Amino acid sequence: MSTLLPGEQVYRAPTAFPARLAWWLLFAPSFLLTILLVIAIAMVFTRGTGIWGNNIPVAWGFPISNYIWWLGIGHAGTLISAMLLLLNQGWRNSLNRFAEAMTLFAVTCGALYPIFHLGRPWRFYWMAPYPNVMDTQPQFKSPLTWDFWAVLTYLIVSTLFWYIGTIPDLAAARDKATKRRWQVFFGLLALGWRGAGRHWARWRQAYWITAGIAVPLVVSVHSEIAMLFAAGPVPGWNSTIFPPYFVLGAAFSGFAVVSMIAVVLRHMLRLEQLVTAHHLSMLGCLTLACGMMTAFGYVAEAFTALYAGGRELETLYDRLTGPYAWSFWGAVILNFVPLQLLWLERIRRAPVPLFLIGLSVAVGMWMERYMLLVSSLSRDWLESSAGLFHATFWDWALYAGLIGFFLTAFLLFVRFLPVISVFEVRERAVEGTLHG
Amino acid sequence: MSRQWRSLDELVDSRSFRELFAAEFPSLTTAADWKRRDILKCMGAAIALAGLDGCERQPDERAFPYVRQAAGETLGEARFYATALEFDGVAQPVIGKTRAGRPIKLEGNPDHPASGGKTDAFTQAALLDLYDPERSQAVLHKGRIADWQAYDAMAHELARRMDASGGKGFRLLTGATRSPTQLRLIGAMLKRWPAARWHAWSAVPTASTAPDLSRAHAIVSFDHDLLGPGPLQTWNARGWAARRSAYHTGEGEALLFVAEPTPSLTGVTASHRLIAGTARLPVLLAALLDGTVAGLSPREKEWVALASRSLVRNPGRGLVTVGAHHPPALQQLARRLNDQLGNAADGALPAGPVEADPIEPLLAAMHAGEVKALMVLDTNPVYALPEFAEAIERVPLRIHAGLHADETAFRCHWHAPLAHDLESWGDARAADGSVCLIQPLVRPWLDVRSKAAQLATLAGRSSSDHALVRETWGSAWAAGANFEEQWQETLRGGFRPASSEGVTPASAQAVSASAKAGAETPPRSNDELTVLVRADPTVWDGRFSDNPWLQELPKPLTKIVWGNAIHISPALAEEEGLENGDLVELSVAGRSVSGPIWIVPGQERRTILVHLGYGRHHAGTVSENLGFNAALLGPAGSSHSDATLRKVGGRQLVASTQSHFAMAPDEFVRFVPSPNTPLRAEPVRANMYPPLPMTEPSWGMAIDLDLCIGCNACVVACVAENNIATVGKEQVAKGREMHWLRVDRYYEGPPDDARQVFQPVPCMHCENAPCEMGCPVNAAVHSPDGLNLQVYNRCIGTRTCAAYCPYKVRRFNWFDWTKEDAPELQAARNPEVTVRGRGVMEKCTYCIQRLQNARIDGEVDEQPDWATEVQTACQQACPTQAIVFGDVSDPKSPVSRRKANGRDYSLLADANTRPRTTHSARIAREDEA
Repeated sequence: MSTLLPGEQVYRAPTAFPARLAWWLLFAPSFLLTILLVIAIAMVFTRGTGIWGNNIPVAWGFPISNYIWWLGIGHAGTLISAMLLLLNQGWRNSLNRFAEAMTLFAVTCGALYPIFHLGRPWRFYWMAPYPNVMDTQPQFKSPLTWDFWAVLTYLIVSTLFWYIGTIPDLAAARDKATKRRWQVFFGLLALGWRGAGRHWARWRQAYWITAGIAVPLVVSVHSEIAMLFAAGPVPGWNSTIFPPYFVLGAAFSGFAVVSMIAVVLRHMLRLEQLVTAHHLSMLGCLTLACGMMTAFGYVAEAFTALYAGGRELETLYDRLTGPYAWSFWGAVILNFVPLQLLWLERIRRAPVPLFLIGLSVAVGMWMERYMLLVSSLSRDWLESSAGLFHATFWDWALYAGLIGFFLTAFLLFVRFLPVISVFEVRERAVEGTLHG
Repeated sequence: MSRQWRSLDELVDSRSFRELFAAEFPSLTTAADWKRRDILKCMGAAIALAGLDGCERQPDERAFPYVRQAAGETLGEARFYATALEFDGVAQPVIGKTRAGRPIKLEGNPDHPASGGKTDAFTQAALLDLYDPERSQAVLHKGRIADWQAYDAMAHELARRMDASGGKGFRLLTGATRSPTQLRLIGAMLKRWPAARWHAWSAVPTASTAPDLSRAHAIVSFDHDLLGPGPLQTWNARGWAARRSAYHTGEGEALLFVAEPTPSLTGVTASHRLIAGTARLPVLLAALLDGTVAGLSPREKEWVALASRSLVRNPGRGLVTVGAHHPPALQQLARRLNDQLGNAADGALPAGPVEADPIEPLLAAMHAGEVKALMVLDTNPVYALPEFAEAIERVPLRIHAGLHADETAFRCHWHAPLAHDLESWGDARAADGSVCLIQPLVRPWLDVRSKAAQLATLAGRSSSDHALVRETWGSAWAAGANFEEQWQETLRGGFRPASSEGVTPASAQAVSASAKAGAETPPRSNDELTVLVRADPTVWDGRFSDNPWLQELPKPLTKIVWGNAIHISPALAEEEGLENGDLVELSVAGRSVSGPIWIVPGQERRTILVHLGYGRHHAGTVSENLGFNAALLGPAGSSHSDATLRKVGGRQLVASTQSHFAMAPDEFVRFVPSPNTPLRAEPVRANMYPPLPMTEPSWGMAIDLDLCIGCNACVVACVAENNIATVGKEQVAKGREMHWLRVDRYYEGPPDDARQVFQPVPCMHCENAPCEMGCPVNAAVHSPDGLNLQVYNRCIGTRTCAAYCPYKVRRFNWFDWTKEDAPELQAARNPEVTVRGRGVMEKCTYCIQRLQNARIDGEVDEQPDWATEVQTACQQACPTQAIVFGDVSDPKSPVSRRKANGRDYSLLADANTRPRTTHSARIAREDEA
């Protein structure tokens, strides 16, 4: 190994994968869940949204809360890649590629949810302004319209950013490939990259510009998602704290999931030299920072309710003690209690504790999204209209299916594409030797 | 008979019976000997007949349309016919709207004094009974399909035998009826067969008087649910509302004192409600009569004193009344009190020329084996009177005629399908004594016979019901005048006023209720549990249990749908550690039922209430496996002390459309102490968007919570008018009922003696509607005339509007609710209203189809004031005129005047939605009367 250049094993991974058995053990259940996803989608498309637990008053249920959760996870990839690139944080190079891939797949899962959620999903394109004989346009006051644009933009920009960033590595993979089909595959994707100076100059320009576009998008996308709630006159939603609170919560859950993935990949692909304990520690720091800011959001929200009184206070009381109290306390405990261990550098550098804390946060943030949505809607204005939401088998099937889809896609990425931005790692290494 | 039969199977298998039967009816036993060719012919005919039903429903060409056009029909225009429905002996006058020969909506007959255009929930839902796909369609003989020819042969044979014996051993059992034609036919039959007997029985004891409540300034009711469901609800509710409205304008008083063991619509509406166990009622009435207040609790004393003072203050303008299920002695006391106060004992419902016997002698005769042949017409005693089920097995020939092959049909040898009133000729008497002619809205598409024709068949005649009714009136109407003219005139108007009939109310004689109704055993101690058996507020005695509109109609006070429950007081629930839905066994003297618990605030501590109408064994698929049969404990109206309640463990799903009833600390329903006290003004709240311009007309609605009695007529009217889907028990339990208009019920104060209020909530048509802001595709938009529209074609089902709606009045098509509707049910739909598909949101439209029709007609006829005539379906049905709708841009319109009174307020004013539907505060006098 020591004879290899740093990251050499990354290029070789697709053709000589180091952990075939582990990969298959992960891939098989993920793929089965993807099949479940197909069934769950077929069910909802043929029978209707009634197979879920949604009702009046809880007209939104799993699809919307899970949508927010997925997109939130996605934001971490963009923040790590783009924001840290702009901030010249070189250590990000070991993490950015797979973090971006995670963004891509998570945003795909998230963006599908609002379409499944529709009563008439085959009409989803009516959200877009397009020329039509009825001369109808979307309704621009609606937060859903903004949301449609925000998510679409984010998906396109994330895809571009990830792809642009991968081009030099795709070219390298092409050059290392020995079989014809791999050469063609990577060759097409590399867009004729030869590593000329002009290529590098153009590439850097494009990459930085895309990064510059992507970073504000994280803020705008999740702010607009927050508007789905905040714009509605629903006690527990109608609050100006929601946009920043949602953005921070999104980054929090995203960093937690990146930590989990980093730990697993590092172990599976034996990348301990590239993804070092220092990297894990940095991820831990990010998670901790975002977590504490999210905690501040909780406090601020409770304060707003206390200050506003009336129905806002009733909703807060419902959250603390009502039928969905499990999700509130679950969110508080899972999000913030294990998190405090990350103050210790010893824990941050240890893969297993970091993984477990990440898992706890991912579950906790899911509970938070669920709690915010369901507890507000189930009892909003009129006492007469209060009613409970109970998720059904098909709610869970769709959610589990999307997790399966996410893992399947990610495992395919791990298996067939360079998971780490090797040229950037090398550049950094070379610069390090030059300057050091 | 050498041995007794317990069931029909046993009976059918008995060889001796077959021999006996063959000896009695030789013609019938041989007729069943079919040849192969005959069967093939019959099958061919059946296929051909099945094809015939594909044709459109045909109007009866002998009926006379009510308005618009006297002759001919314009394609696409609705036709209206005046007719009536008989409900427990009382005609409900209606105007039936038909389209292309299909009846699609019933409204009250606006010219009839007993309706004034108003209806109750049962009448609104009767339309669906007509179209019920599971109605009985064929003559059944011993459970197998037979035909009318065989039935007629049997009837002929029976008539011959009865002619020979003078009718000895023949008994006719009918439901309550005051139909002149039916009474004439029964009278003729009794004349022909002097030894035969006619018994009339209705499962639910009903009042024999229909007092004019509009003249009653002070009413004292002892467990008499005047305003509750029943045949007189529309009459009483209109009278009460007339009085209450007069009181609003400062004319006299409208005081209502109610003492009752369990909350009723009357009790909830009362100005002074007293919770009193059944055993306390005689004591209270006695105290009111002679002023002895010894032994009364302080609350009772206060109530009696107030009631007494109010009655004395209003001599001749008061009313003391006792529930029809209470013993005659108590009724007598009330009558004495009324006489003392000079209260007119008016409104006795006319008795017929022939008097029916009650059911008790029939039961005795059946047990004694004296009944040789029994005809049961349009009533179901086997279900509602368990002892009848035993006795009937001793009758050798049993015939049943009814709308459904029900429990009684199952125990009878013969079953004859009955025509619905809406497809029959007939007559009936309304609450005011006037005669209503029943004319068919549509020619029967099933091979059925009306009640009059069934009675004629029994006497061996085969006249058409049309001829029978004409025969009745041909001789009765003033001689000399042109009968044909009078006939057509009466059909057009639907009725002949009571005065023109020279009705002399007979002495008040109650339609005989069931045997034990009213037979009260006073509890031995205060801690004994008393069970009350009452008719169900939505399916009554079970006759409506196959009507999905009524099954899905929330019971006014509990909001339970699709089932019944064992209702207990909050105190008892706490004592026994019971919660809503806990399964318990309730026993009375060895008889028991088990069902889920439901806690009712305001119920007497040791009283348990159960409703009849569920636990059906031989009914359609709609009522299959719903609830328990409360009649097993006793007939409707009865009360039983010494009951025991035992928790059996486990829970049962009780579907209810409302789960939270306590209103505090909110003020969804507001109160004022007197009609003239205005509510405090709401502050003007800022809005980001500019206000909508007010055009002419601009639609709005006002609902007076002081007039609303929670009767649900509006809800069913809305369902019928707007093709609203029924979704079934499980879906309602999930919170997916589709009603566009709901009646919320709240209570205030301690649960043991809570003040209960109703609040109808349709779409508020907010001027500043959050749903419109939320919709991404412009499916929720505002019309220039102030309607909040929902464009189904544009809706993609994001449900944002529902999430944002503070009133939660929007309903979503989670599935394709209507895809599997039977063709009959499709025929019942209003063609002017879109049937909504899967995945779209829907809600109240203020009956936009009516608004548009009125607009088009008004513009075509160049009537500038067309907007004053239009009515929404809920408004049109509302018997108390609590709902007023119209043009709010016209300050003189009724709705503007209602909104201008100081009691008007916006629900959830703090949401700043500026609703076009507003409510008027309830008047609750805390002071003494």
